[in-house]
Amino acid sequence: MSTLLEVRSLTKSFGGLRAVDGVSFKVEEGMILSIIGPNGAGKTTLFNLITGALAPDSGDILFEGRSIKGLKPNRTARLGIGRTFQIVRPFPFLTTLDNVTLAALAKAKNRREARLRAAEILEITHLSTFARLDARNLTLARRKRLEIARAMALSPRIILLDEVMAGLTPVEVDETIVLIKSLTTMGIAAVAGVEHVMQAVRKISDRIVVLNFGQWLAEGTPGEVMRNPEVIRAYLGSHYGETGEDA
Amino acid sequence: MKKISLVSGAVCLLVVIGIPFLASDYLVGFFFNMFIFVTVAYGWNLISGYTGYLSFGQISFFGLGAYTMAIAVFRFHWSWQLGVLTGAVLAVVLAAPLGWLMLRLRGPYFALGMLGFVQVLYMVASAASSVTGGGEGLYLPPTADLHPLYYSAAAMVVLAMGATWAVERSAFGLRLQAIREDELAADAMGVETTRVKLAAFMLSSAFPAVAGGLYAWRLSYIDPASAFPGNYEIQTILMTIFGGAGTIMGPLLGGIALSVMGEVIWARFAELHLLLTGSLIILVLLFMPEGMVPLVRRTVARRRGRIARSAAGEGA
Repeated sequence: MSTLLEVRSLTKSFGGLRAVDGVSFKVEEGMILSIIGPNGAGKTTLFNLITGALAPDSGDILFEGRSIKGLKPNRTARLGIGRTFQIVRPFPFLTTLDNVTLAALAKAKNRREARLRAAEILEITHLSTFARLDARNLTLARRKRLEIARAMALSPRIILLDEVMAGLTPVEVDETIVLIKSLTTMGIAAVAGVEHVMQAVRKISDRIVVLNFGQWLAEGTPGEVMRNPEVIRAYLGSHYGETGEDA
Repeated sequence: MKKISLVSGAVCLLVVIGIPFLASDYLVGFFFNMFIFVTVAYGWNLISGYTGYLSFGQISFFGLGAYTMAIAVFRFHWSWQLGVLTGAVLAVVLAAPLGWLMLRLRGPYFALGMLGFVQVLYMVASAASSVTGGGEGLYLPPTADLHPLYYSAAAMVVLAMGATWAVERSAFGLRLQAIREDELAADAMGVETTRVKLAAFMLSSAFPAVAGGLYAWRLSYIDPASAFPGNYEIQTILMTIFGGAGTIMGPLLGGIALSVMGEVIWARFAELHLLLTGSLIILVLLFMPEGMVPLVRRTVARRRGRIARSAAGEGA
């Protein structure tokens, strides 16, 4: 496996707050990496830096071996980095099909070809029934799925998934897990930013990076990370962390 | 459905062609004015209705077109047709740097920025009297025959409608709508927002420019106040919203509805004209903010649904 995406000591401050503070990690082709951390750990900022929505203060981002630092979001999107938004941002007055067609235009020759590709993706993501419905009429779970569908329509090499499982019922979480795992069979890598849904993280992740207050705290396989006392302390407070060490 | 719209379109076209032979000069003038309004409205519809960049300054291109035509005829003795075309070209050329600057602004800032630009052009037209005639204006040879103007304006409406139809079906049109709905998300989906917006802005500037040129030739006089008529800006925005912003038929239907309504109200209640028109506008915005086209579309869809259900044996 070769490295698809590499983040090198990336730093971004907002005023006095270091939202992302010297974070580094690598994503191999076709793998699923989860980035976990409590609220405010810097996950969304990290995604905004990678896609170019924000400019980093220092550090570098390499995609397929080339630096993509300073590229606009529409450039990184067309290069092969798809993303979803934590607070979903569908085009509300466009149909579900047009939402996905728009993204497919990035790689298609014309609108007709893009529409065909979009219809395929709606099939995969179980949204075909709602193809002609305006996106604003979809339920939250379906809008979250639409976010993934749009990212897939870019025909990307990697998708950054920002809290795609937050606020879903257990059944919907399971459906999303299946969908995320199917990405890897299509040769698409994924970086999933997750705050709370730890069972899901355990099921989908090849590797996990833990962030805390913008800093890299730990990295490893799901088993390694979940046993790490530092991680337990960050998540549950120092008291539990110490007990964990004692035991 | 396709057949119905094709037939009704052909009938409308025949009526439009026939009007000058059948109707009084007054009516021909009424239709000419309506076509001018509708053409400006189609321009506004592209940048504001489809792209979501609400502009209060498309009338600046109207004035640019009017002055270009007038100066071409008055100073260079060109034909008015060439003057009108030159105005359109100039508007598109000017829209490039202007849009590059203005389209960084969003929401009310863009709207006000464009409003400010109208003022700038107004001042330039007033000050550069050696070219524009300043406050005294320019007098052009009066037009005896209204027919060529009438047909030019009608052709512009057809052209604007056709262009809008082509845009709506294209990849470009979908990108415009995505920018309107959520520019940040569109950017993340690979849309080169800056370029796409600029293209829409440039395209939208051509229509008011042509309308302005035709209007000035009909008036056979131009001064800053008639070149940048603020009420035209407001009228055309209202027409588009009334008919349905971001739709192919919206500016046409809204333009016809408001023109006819204005004419009828004006003829019957001259003193109450503005009061009644204003009240009507408020009622429309309250009860059908999306305009006529989406309303009609939904009603048709609902009726069809009902027919389909009753055919399937689910109806009462």
